Amino acid sequence: MKALDDLVGILARLPGIGRKSAARIAFHVLKSDDQYVALLAERIGSLKEKVRFCSVCGSYTEDDPCEVCSSPMRDRSLVCVVEQAQDVLTIEASREYRGVYHVLGALISPLDGIGPDALRLDRLVARVRDQGVSEVVIATNPTVEGDTTALYIKKVLEGSGARVTRLATGIPVGGDLEYADKLTLARSFRGRVAL
Amino acid sequence: MPFSRIESVSFRNLADGAIQTEAPSVFVVGENGQGKSNFLDAVYTLCYGSSFRGGQDADAGRDGERSWSLRGVGPDGSSCAVAWESGIKAIKEDGKPVRDRKRLVERNPAIVFCHEDMEFARGEPERRRFFFDQTASLVSVGYIDLLRAYRRALKARNQALKDRSLDVLEVLDLQVASYGIGLRDERAAIAREFDERFAPRFESVARLGQRVGVSYRPSWRLDEGSDDVVARLAAARDRELALGTSLSGPHRDRFVFTDDSGDFSDRASTGQLRLLSLTLRIAQAEHYAGVSGRRPTLLLDDVLLELDPEKRRRFMEALPEAEQSFFTFLPGEPYRDYQRDGTIVYWTDDGRFTRT
Ligand SMILES: [Zn+2]
Repeated sequence: MKALDDLVGILARLPGIGRKSAARIAFHVLKSDDQYVALLAERIGSLKEKVRFCSVCGSYTEDDPCEVCSSPMRDRSLVCVVEQAQDVLTIEASREYRGVYHVLGALISPLDGIGPDALRLDRLVARVRDQGVSEVVIATNPTVEGDTTALYIKKVLEGSGARVTRLATGIPVGGDLEYADKLTLARSFRGRVAL
Repeated sequence: MPFSRIESVSFRNLADGAIQTEAPSVFVVGENGQGKSNFLDAVYTLCYGSSFRGGQDADAGRDGERSWSLRGVGPDGSSCAVAWESGIKAIKEDGKPVRDRKRLVERNPAIVFCHEDMEFARGEPERRRFFFDQTASLVSVGYIDLLRAYRRALKARNQALKDRSLDVLEVLDLQVASYGIGLRDERAAIAREFDERFAPRFESVARLGQRVGVSYRPSWRLDEGSDDVVARLAAARDRELALGTSLSGPHRDRFVFTDDSGDFSDRASTGQLRLLSLTLRIAQAEHYAGVSGRRPTLLLDDVLLELDPEKRRRFMEALPEAEQSFFTFLPGEPYRDYQRDGTIVYWTDDGRFTRT
């Protein structure tokens, strides 16, 4: 059946979904009532229309600027730099952090042909310069590329007056913010170290 | 964990099935090409997730099979399994997937003695670094992390040199210096410790009447700190940019075997080099046992063959306590002399194992 095969094929491209799981989902959709299937299709279809990047920090949001950037409760003198927009959600879930964010979108990696120009760093420098930022916390993953990026940011912020810190970690071992549990994340925010 | 049973399916030329190995030592006797070394390779693969002969996982399938699998079962029922299918390798411990192979050394490290070890003695700097990196990795997952970080940063730095990304190079210099100095200091420590284990062992089997030891010749001097290394890298910038590669650092380190008059391996006979390579493995096993407090599994692939009877005896006496030992022999060798209570002896013929 072509329609079924097509759906299994496209579902199997999702992260963590193999062909077996894809087939199970496809059969589940076949058996479900029409209303549920229509809702599922509508929700998937409209996600990318509704969710955009915040024009200030670069994180995911439905309203621009995002909730964090527009909240009067957040400390604007403290900026946390993360690699990806989803990292903001991970840190927000820990409820440990009261500052604002800057999403890089990538890490410096000569081996992948990614240079500093790809990182929206001019925006970060402008924010630090114009908005009285006193501390920039770099929360890139503890990998070689995460370190390269952290050290590079420290270099471009030299002379800006802002303190540059990094979430406390050891040698780069390929850890991922996404997998850090909330407790670990809370601890590393409290234990951040000057770069 | 020692192995009480090794199961294999489509692995090299081994016949499918289980081989009972519930003994402190297991001997496999057979002509060349019958599956002796393949059996040791199966044990090694169960310990580390890959072959001791290098090569591709795809080549380990019997007659070009697209999949193979191995499973080792311990006396306590614990198990480990390595399976390869259509380009994907899965390693499991007690049925649970192992995410990073570096975790395997914490379980059941094997020390393999094989003919290729001669390369360590002969003097290719890269092979010697490999040997000492392996020795350090056996007892320290942190060393594996440091080595991986250094290699990755070095590769990035070489790329940045080719790209002439000067601003990124400034940062990569700091990283390469920091991971590299960590690596250098670890290597210096292991060379010191290793030297003390190796020298008396080598003298007891080789009887040369002089001390042969290990000395570490790092690319960056031991008294150079992070600032010195960064300055050194900056000073070499133009040359490195022109060549597009990093000219100094732990990837250029050397390990030298020294006697009273200098470099021992330059003047040593083939027999002496063979003994040296065997003693390196003995010292590696002792280092592992000394630091971890656990006994390794020993795999000896037909390495006694080229020693005279007296040296064989001394070598066997020098072998450290093992969790379990696997030996291979040609039929003509006096393997019965090395048998102990409970040794299991197999004859192998075309991948089939017959217990004697
Ligand atoms: Zn925002």
